[in-house]
Amino acid sequence: MAKFLLLAFRNVFRNRRRTLMSLLMVGGGVAGLLLVGGFFAFMFWGLRESTIRNGLGHIQIFTAEYFRRDEVHVLDTGIENWEQVAQRVRTVDHVRGVAPRIEFYGMLSNGVKSSVFMGNAVDPHAERSMGFNPSFASGHDLNADSNGDVEALIGSGVARSMSVKIGDGLTILAVTADGALNGIDVQIVGIVNTGVKDLDDRYLRISLRSAQRLLQSDRVTNVVIGLDRTENTDTVAAALAPRLRGLPQELTMRKWIDLAAYYKQVRTLFSGIFVFLGVIVFFMVLMASVNTLLMAMFERTREIGTMLAMGTPRAWIVALFMLEAGLTGLLGAAVGLIGGNLLGMALNASGLHLPPPPGTNVPMLFKVLHVPGVMIGSTVMVMVSLALASILPAIRASRLQIAEALAHV
Amino acid sequence: MQSTDSLVSVENVSRVFAMDHSGVKALDDVSLRVDSGEFLAISGPSGSGKSTLLNLIGCIDRPTIGRIRLEGTDTTTLSAAQTTELRREKIGFVFQTFNLIPVFTAAENVEYPLLVQQINARERRMRVGAALESVGLAARASHRPDLLSGGERQRVAVARAIVHRPALVLADEPTANLDTSNATQLIDLMRDLNRSLGLTFIFSTHDQRLLEHTPRIVRLTDGRIASDDQGESHGQVLAACVS
Repeated sequence: MAKFLLLAFRNVFRNRRRTLMSLLMVGGGVAGLLLVGGFFAFMFWGLRESTIRNGLGHIQIFTAEYFRRDEVHVLDTGIENWEQVAQRVRTVDHVRGVAPRIEFYGMLSNGVKSSVFMGNAVDPHAERSMGFNPSFASGHDLNADSNGDVEALIGSGVARSMSVKIGDGLTILAVTADGALNGIDVQIVGIVNTGVKDLDDRYLRISLRSAQRLLQSDRVTNVVIGLDRTENTDTVAAALAPRLRGLPQELTMRKWIDLAAYYKQVRTLFSGIFVFLGVIVFFMVLMASVNTLLMAMFERTREIGTMLAMGTPRAWIVALFMLEAGLTGLLGAAVGLIGGNLLGMALNASGLHLPPPPGTNVPMLFKVLHVPGVMIGSTVMVMVSLALASILPAIRASRLQIAEALAHV
Repeated sequence: MQSTDSLVSVENVSRVFAMDHSGVKALDDVSLRVDSGEFLAISGPSGSGKSTLLNLIGCIDRPTIGRIRLEGTDTTTLSAAQTTELRREKIGFVFQTFNLIPVFTAAENVEYPLLVQQINARERRMRVGAALESVGLAARASHRPDLLSGGERQRVAVARAIVHRPALVLADEPTANLDTSNATQLIDLMRDLNRSLGLTFIFSTHDQRLLEHTPRIVRLTDGRIASDDQGESHGQVLAACVS
């Protein structure tokens, strides 16, 4: 068997130029998939972490009612005693912080012009402790201990449309939990880029205390949990479930993946693109390899005839060709893995940035992650491709008529 | 014809090759017996059917009509797998163009028939050494075919043909690609192996140098045996072949 393997190995390098081309073709395919897959993985990772760090958190707790019906008045499906919930959450390992939130909406005005806003109210201290820091275009974050004017962060689109800057004032109007109209004046302390233009045009953030005063309610919409690592989400969710039972309100939780609709859409789209690229590479390798292996088979017709004349079983001839194809695939994959990883490292070191994706205004860092799954998957893919490519030449070689093969010139 | 005592028995064999709508008769009612230990040449002009007859005896082709027996076994009734096994164990081949595996060394080429027979490594090493020794190429064992001369390559091919101790060695025009000196050495080698090991050689040739050393010459003309000269003087044999 070792000699047979040696024969296959030496046959692979019989025509060095052709083998080099084959290895470059297979290696190029693998390297290409590694780079694309590595970049997509980085993109998924970046999108996941930015989605979580931008405020989604790892787990969110709502009342069960929140998902059963729409609010009639603001916060009427909210959590009543969120501090008690937070206390239970903090007893679970890997929990880095707990932050109550209120989602609300209303109108804001600069005295001349009015606009709709999508507001969220937070505990600035809790948000910061979990690393949920907005991306500031100018100004600073909300002051948790402010007893003076109500501070507000607004999106860069809001600032532009309302013609306001840091230090300027705005009036915000909202419907209270009782259905009445209420308003407060706020001072702008920060202008934020969310990365999503549509959100920047509507974004407003004030402190939880200010929002509860505006909305005339002690309730919060949800409680957001930040963890030490995203990978611990399932573990924490499992530990948390029993702790949420036995409270006055029926509570439910959602993991970040359940709430990150945009992330899931992006991931599905780019995974589809990656599979499509993989299929193209698969067929490129397949077609080119069939041609190469058929050429090798025709060149070795007399040699195969000799081997058959000496009593070599035809199955061995099939195995020999498949083994040669397998070795080519393995060596090509090795070339691709080494080349792809080195190229990835070079690109990472270059600090290359791509233009902002549609709907965002932040240039995208081009970074390639080394993903074992992509490495294994692309190696297996080219091996399968070459194994399939070898079937036709192998069968043709094994079916040669010995006398004709020996007379082949 | 009673054939069971012969090593090879060719009985009323014809071989017709289909060409378009007609057929070409390469062999026409040929009968021949070869005993163990013989050194037999099949001679004749190009297209007389020499290679076809060797292919049929070597079980790499089947006759259209007739029977061929090897050690009493009717090879024409065997399955493809059985003929493969028969070739593997009973027959050694030497080809006009040497047909060595170019990526193998001389020793590895000689070893190949033993690999196919799945003989263990120790036994293989021993037999390969002996075979290369017998053809005078022990010192060239690690050389690849492209580093060997034509004569050396053909001697490696002879070593490969005898290494598994076959009952019969078939050689198709073994000296056709060799110069006089190498051809003479090869003929002497084959004759020595025939005498010392009792190996049966059947070879096709129209090389007169080879015929001079051949005790039995079967001459083919147009697919039929024109003469079967046994035990005649070289002069008589040559005269018959030249005529």
